[in-house]
Amino acid sequence: MTPVRLFGYTDKISVRPGEAVQFHVSAEGTDTAEAQLVRLIHGDQNPAGPGFIEEEVACAANGTWQVERQTTQVGSFLEVDDAECRLAFEGSFTLFAFIHPTWPASGKRQNVIGRWDSDRGLGYGIGLDERGCLQFRIGRGNDTVECLAADVPLQVQMWYFVAATFDAGTRRATLYQAGVGNRYNGLLGKVALVDYDSRTSAIFGARPENLAGTPFLMAGSRGRDPQQRECVSELYWGKIDRCGAFDQALQPGELDAIKSGLVPAMDSLVAYWDTSKGYTDRGIGDVVVDVGRHELNARGYNRPVRGQTGWNWDGHTDCFRLAPHEFGGIEFHADALTDCNWRATKVVTLPRGLRSGCYAMRLRSGSARGLGEEHVVFFVRPEKPRAQIAFLFPTLTYLALANERLSFDHPEREAMTGQPAVLSEIDIEMYTRADFGLSTYDMHADGSGVCYSSYHRPIMNMRPRYRMPSLDVASGLAADLSIIAWLEQSDFDYDVLTDEDLHRDGSAALAPYACVISGSRPEYCTERMLDATEDYVADGGRYIYAGGNGFNAAAGIRDSQPWIMECRRRDDGYKPWISRYGEHYMATDGMRGGPWKVLGRPTQKLVGIGLSSQGGGRSEPYRRMPDSYHRTVSWITKGVEGEIVGDFGLANHGAAGLALDYYDRALGTPPHTRIIASSGGHTDSYVVNQQLVLYAYLGLYGSYDWRVHADMTYFTAPNGGAVFACGSVAFAQSLPINNFMNTASRVLANVVEAFVRPGRLPGFAWVNEEKQWA
Amino acid sequence: MLPLEYDRSQDRDIIVRDRFDTLRREFLRTIVTPEVIEEHRRSPLGQHSERLERLLIYFRQRPLDERYALRTVEPFGKYQVVRLSGHRGTPPRAVDETIYASANEALHGLFLHCIRDLLET
Repeated sequence: MTPVRLFGYTDKISVRPGEAVQFHVSAEGTDTAEAQLVRLIHGDQNPAGPGFIEEEVACAANGTWQVERQTTQVGSFLEVDDAECRLAFEGSFTLFAFIHPTWPASGKRQNVIGRWDSDRGLGYGIGLDERGCLQFRIGRGNDTVECLAADVPLQVQMWYFVAATFDAGTRRATLYQAGVGNRYNGLLGKVALVDYDSRTSAIFGARPENLAGTPFLMAGSRGRDPQQRECVSELYWGKIDRCGAFDQALQPGELDAIKSGLVPAMDSLVAYWDTSKGYTDRGIGDVVVDVGRHELNARGYNRPVRGQTGWNWDGHTDCFRLAPHEFGGIEFHADALTDCNWRATKVVTLPRGLRSGCYAMRLRSGSARGLGEEHVVFFVRPEKPRAQIAFLFPTLTYLALANERLSFDHPEREAMTGQPAVLSEIDIEMYTRADFGLSTYDMHADGSGVCYSSYHRPIMNMRPRYRMPSLDVASGLAADLSIIAWLEQSDFDYDVLTDEDLHRDGSAALAPYACVISGSRPEYCTERMLDATEDYVADGGRYIYAGGNGFNAAAGIRDSQPWIMECRRRDDGYKPWISRYGEHYMATDGMRGGPWKVLGRPTQKLVGIGLSSQGGGRSEPYRRMPDSYHRTVSWITKGVEGEIVGDFGLANHGAAGLALDYYDRALGTPPHTRIIASSGGHTDSYVVNQQLVLYAYLGLYGSYDWRVHADMTYFTAPNGGAVFACGSVAFAQSLPINNFMNTASRVLANVVEAFVRPGRLPGFAWVNEEKQWA
Repeated sequence: MLPLEYDRSQDRDIIVRDRFDTLRREFLRTIVTPEVIEEHRRSPLGQHSERLERLLIYFRQRPLDERYALRTVEPFGKYQVVRLSGHRGTPPRAVDETIYASANEALHGLFLHCIRDLLET
């Protein structure tokens, strides 16, 4: 019997009461599920805290839902819009492409370009065989597939010009493969003794037979799943640059001309996809333009990666914006996924008057040990801003990490966290499945980094109880719910917003609120989000940065598809993988990827502190610093007995842990910032942020280097604004200890009370320096 | 990066890596003492002596298919030691039937597996 499994996602991550939200659910081992709308209050099940808390909410959609197993098309490819079947060649033809395979010997067939039905052996295409040799295939059915192979295998990460011709008169087929590597564009240089070129030919029995419905694809072929549903199979790993088709068998000299970069202009040209056409300074879309007379444009599926270095890239420029014609590479991965495209199981109109918060549709099926449960999480922002406080869920960071599998796949992860992974059943299940996609922390199986993540798929680590296996702590949403639970037990009224709202609405999203509280790790930000936060504070807003490792990494969102985020990774800063040189710029919006620090916007410049160190294992407390006794800020620690703050917590027993942020004037900490408290004594698992050092050397660890610490800081800003920064990711998880009655909770409450109180901030009246020390 | 799984039969540096590994293991065997093991039992995730840290650094750097992890059988109650497959899509497998009552006990159980591998191979 199939075990009961339920998985789901919503079409929107942020909705308002009264709006409709679509739930897409896939079920295994059951055809019904009990649905219950719940408001999520606390996630972490750590027995030292309040445990998992959800509140059932009345909703017309509660009850039994009919559910079904849904299928997912994994893999990126391009499909050509060829309604008139101009590419269903009856006679002679030529196909050509510049290609850069990233996993030629994958053990599976791959199709680069063609109108090829691999399931039925019909049509034609250029592809790779299991060993990584180029192939030209023509078929008239499974028993009559003819195949011409190159006589040297393709080399990994090298550019080639490939072409296949078929002369219907003589039935001669030729396959042409020529290396076009230069000093910059591939893995190997001129000194490598490798044979790149091949020319083979054969007489085929007959011309191909074309089914009317077979699509012309780049990076895949028509296939069928075991239930005979049409899908795309034989997915290709690698880049494809300019490509095209002629209804004539070209001669070698003509192919050589195309290989040299000349744009073909013969009448027999049926389609020529200029992959670098249509680039803008602010990004690249998913349509690949056919500049030929039929305009047979191709559309990307699962977001092929555009703006990549092309076959003719000479290394002089590092960005597609500067020399688009050298960045025509489109990269494909057979394990890419940006949208499950499941049928909507239910469209739910949320009750009017629903309070703002983090919600989930809880789905259950089965019983006792066989119970399958899913929380399909979404966020409800207010119809109109109502409270004085907004809690901002860092949904872009959730997306960046969505379904990460670092503990299984990343050789350096355990060395970085300093502890072995603690895996849950859902981690193991996720690892065994390919249909939930990867995170931007993972690598595609060809070794390339994953630069797109999406919430149009089930996200296991956005479930409210989730613990990150490599650190064995609640993380992401589960950690941020500790702040929500803290707000709940306080008398503070609050609304919730998401990164998506901030990106879309800018500082207008924050302006109605007296106080904005961030999540525990608001790491990924678009430029608009950073601008909005900076403007909010500068215009008099009061911001609580309730975490660490924030505002650190550049991310991109396309306005029309906010469910997909992009990130590229540079050679500076922490990174689970690295973009190739020339591929650091995001196709989404043209911004340079990587740490914002490199772009002149260190976190210190925005909120006073920025990443000093990361690690795992034991967390530490904060100790009050002299500034905390200064009359202008002594109100922050009012009610705290003694020197220590946060010597407890659900994240390794301390409020300072996981990621630590510190004050650094050289990185833009505002000059009058006060250090309220600092941590210290971190173990050697905590290592100095590599962005802060110029060389790697022995001794950049917790017990050797003073920079390995967290600073809790405060500064006032123009127009009555202020920023309080907690300094560490683990801070939020110290709040629930002792039923929220503790020093960390006291400090946060003091700040929130001050920030929402109308009028000037406490301490403003102390202006004479000699009287300012209590 | 090259593909996660590719034919390494032509990679000559494997010999260099293995030679380094042999020398490193030879030395590490000399620092395994009852005191070091007891230190780990007391505090699997704290600040450690140089000897213990050296051993742990080595264990954390083992190839993925020689790496151990814990599996949560019951959150905050039952844990088991598993070995990673090192192959995407292939789940880890339990190394024995032992169930530990806390994460720290399980971490120490995992450590003892690493020590055993070091001493016996």
